[in-house]
Amino acid sequence: MSAGQTRRLSVPATDEGIKAALDALERLWAEQGVSRAVTWPVEVSLDEVLANVVHHGLEGRGEAARVELELQFEPGDPPRCEVRVADDGPAFDPLAAAAPDTSLGVDERPIGGLGIELVKRLMDEVQYERRDGRNHLRLVRRLLPMEH
Amino acid sequence: MEIGDEQVGETRVIAPRGRVDSVSSGELERHLMARLDAGARRVVIDLAGVDYISSAGLRVLLVAAKRLKPPQGALVLCGLGPSVRTVLELAGFMSLFAVEPAREQALARASGSSAP
Repeated sequence: MSAGQTRRLSVPATDEGIKAALDALERLWAEQGVSRAVTWPVEVSLDEVLANVVHHGLEGRGEAARVELELQFEPGDPPRCEVRVADDGPAFDPLAAAAPDTSLGVDERPIGGLGIELVKRLMDEVQYERRDGRNHLRLVRRLLPMEH
Repeated sequence: MEIGDEQVGETRVIAPRGRVDSVSSGELERHLMARLDAGARRVVIDLAGVDYISSAGLRVLLVAAKRLKPPQGALVLCGLGPSVRTVLELAGFMSLFAVEPAREQALARASGSSAP
């Protein structure tokens, strides 16, 4: 069995940074030979979390603000993926927000809050912690197909 | 992101490919809105080439649905792979959209909708 892989990267708090992070995740899957059929929930969740940080937490701070990422892959049956995201924006626990009402019609449907709700439903574990003046989010998923 | 775009009879078919995420969804939104501003009223969005969609992409679909409400307009989604379908289901979006398996059925449904 091959050993686990850990990638650390620091990206700017911009759209380019989000793209760089998602590209890095895609490269990691390709190297490990894992199918997108089981990895997409991690990619969607990372996009949601980073969009939140870049467009809200670090809004307006541009290139100077960085987001630190740790992407961890453990082979196994099933393989396991852990993603850690840290930023030094204002304290903000995205998990504390109320769940959106997903039963409303086209005209009434708000879109805010939907991203984090998806993360909670797609990942096995999601944890937030404020530590040393930074926001830390930890996402874990066993790489299995989604069940309905 | 690549965006396929063709006119089939009275229907405009838009086919994004790749990731529909918080970065690329802006491009899809500009593309769709330009078509709607130019007068497109029957639209099929073919998602067969989409790897996955996040909430930023769902927002674009919602904006398009609001602008293409029947009877003046028609919006039909098709080609949903497992990842796209799961995200739409988790978000409670399936009930908001007309969804068909493939492009052929979607075109029939879009053109069969009550005329503007």
